[in-house]
Amino acid sequence: MKTGFHDPRTDPVPVGWPEFFRAARLHPVWDYDVMGLDAWTARNPPVLATVSDDAGIVAAFSVLVCRPRLRYRFAPTPGHRLLRPFWAEVCQPWLSGYPGLAFAPEVAAADRRPLIRVFERSLRRRLGPGLLGVLYRALGQDFAQDLQGRGRLVKAVDSVAVLENRFASEDEWIASLPKSRRGGLRRQRRRIADDPGVVVVGGAGREDLDSAEVATLIQGHRERHGKLPLDTRTPPSAAFLHRFLRRPDVHTLTYTGADGRLLAVNTLLDHPDSPAKQHWGTLPVEEGGRQGLLFDSYIHAMRYATRRGVKELTAGRGLPELKATLGFRARPVYSAAVPRPVLGW
Amino acid sequence: MWTVGVNAAWRAAYRRSVRSAFATVPFYRERWALDGRTDPVLVPGRTGTDSGAAPLAEAVHKIVDLVPLAGGVQRIEPSRGLGPVLRKARSVSGDALVVVLGGDGTRPPSDLPRGVRCCVVDPDVPAPSVLAEVSSALRRGRRVLAVGDDKQLAVFAAALPEDRAYRVESVPRRELDTMDTGPYGVLHDPALGYLGAIEECGRWHLDWPRVYARPTTGGLAFTLLRQDSPRFVDVLPAGGVRGEIAPCPRHGTPVVLT
Repeated sequence: MKTGFHDPRTDPVPVGWPEFFRAARLHPVWDYDVMGLDAWTARNPPVLATVSDDAGIVAAFSVLVCRPRLRYRFAPTPGHRLLRPFWAEVCQPWLSGYPGLAFAPEVAAADRRPLIRVFERSLRRRLGPGLLGVLYRALGQDFAQDLQGRGRLVKAVDSVAVLENRFASEDEWIASLPKSRRGGLRRQRRRIADDPGVVVVGGAGREDLDSAEVATLIQGHRERHGKLPLDTRTPPSAAFLHRFLRRPDVHTLTYTGADGRLLAVNTLLDHPDSPAKQHWGTLPVEEGGRQGLLFDSYIHAMRYATRRGVKELTAGRGLPELKATLGFRARPVYSAAVPRPVLGW
Repeated sequence: MWTVGVNAAWRAAYRRSVRSAFATVPFYRERWALDGRTDPVLVPGRTGTDSGAAPLAEAVHKIVDLVPLAGGVQRIEPSRGLGPVLRKARSVSGDALVVVLGGDGTRPPSDLPRGVRCCVVDPDVPAPSVLAEVSSALRRGRRVLAVGDDKQLAVFAAALPEDRAYRVESVPRRELDTMDTGPYGVLHDPALGYLGAIEECGRWHLDWPRVYARPTTGGLAFTLLRQDSPRFVDVLPAGGVRGEIAPCPRHGTPVVLT
């Protein structure tokens, strides 16, 4: 087994990465260009670690090298060694509810654990004595079991909202919901359709979007709802969104007022099995925003999911009670903390 | 006193601003990381277009990205820097009254010399009480300076009593693409604030302790050395105006030549 570490800011695409990306059916945030763009505009940039055998890449890890938040700065440019203690997080920063590790389809469940241990040993060697440990975020139950072991802390921390798509249309989905929610969604859909003051546009690779306006809305929304504790991510900038929203595998739904002002925005990462609702930002009602747009965005997401015939739709980790009323099931996600002494064991 | 050491310190302050913007401000981070820049080069091999300078209109449009990671305001300060440049343009000090002419969005400057009083007047709809106060100050022999563009100055003068209007000291506000030969004037940009003034030598002097400028292929690029947020580094005002920065033969400090 051979382990490689690739800094997407400056290193070329790893050999065999496009093939692995397709075979492992990864979300667009795993695209090497997107990781590079994200890495340049992040405090804790992702590094792509790959484990390969003779046939090609068999496992991939998105590793964030995290520094204590002493100063508000982007990460040092490639080539700088970290002098202070730091930790690594295996996660995909903007893919809520999915882990930061992936395996080729031919890797059996029993083979995952040794591959993870190979990766951990290489990571320890690569990052040097300053590495305190590794935190795996947003693991499913299967990966959580692979990370069990002496000295490792594996814990269910949260849940991700998942809606299994067994519907032929969004109307069928709405019909399956409890009566009160059903009526509310239908009223909401009629109200927005009849409102000439709201223009709803959705689609992939949107060229017409003003990324500065989108970033303002998303950042404002996140600030109003408070920062998550121990959040190592950097808010998406207009510069990042300018390139990201133009990708053909990123769908953007916008609600615009009659005056051209953006009222709400929602991005959805396309995927053949499980599209993921990603960023959401809305203008507060007291500043001219509209009520109920979040629910309408779920109707649009389900319309897309049912037309595409995907297996499931995921909608992140927030507001689980509200999402339960929309038919979403809470799938538990786990975190695993692996201190340095047991890395690779 | 402009010496080799001061020149080196001026350039060092600029290079610090560039490195700090690259390390903390999303707009410059993305631009200089992916495209590149020169003087200094931050990512080896990436030299960018126009030496990394960005059109000011584009920067202002993405003002959300001009705020550093630590946070800060997104508000533009068009009156920034008026105090220091007014000292150079008209030797303002003491008991003067400065009338800044502008529309609704104009805010009074915060950096006028101690003792100088300021008011903002919309020349198209001047408040009678303000005109009365200005007129009274002129009658008492107090210095009154009006800062605005040519049209605003003319309208303001016409609103004052004829026998006193001539005593108002006009300070014409010029933009980079409308600079003239004086004898008085301040160099202004609606987003960057006041950048310099005509001094007694008749040349457009930069407010160099606060502003850095350098020629690029896209035009003269300006940097505000002391403004944290929104951060302006190597931006091209007025769509990019060709020019150069040279030492003044009389003072030695940098002047703008277009």
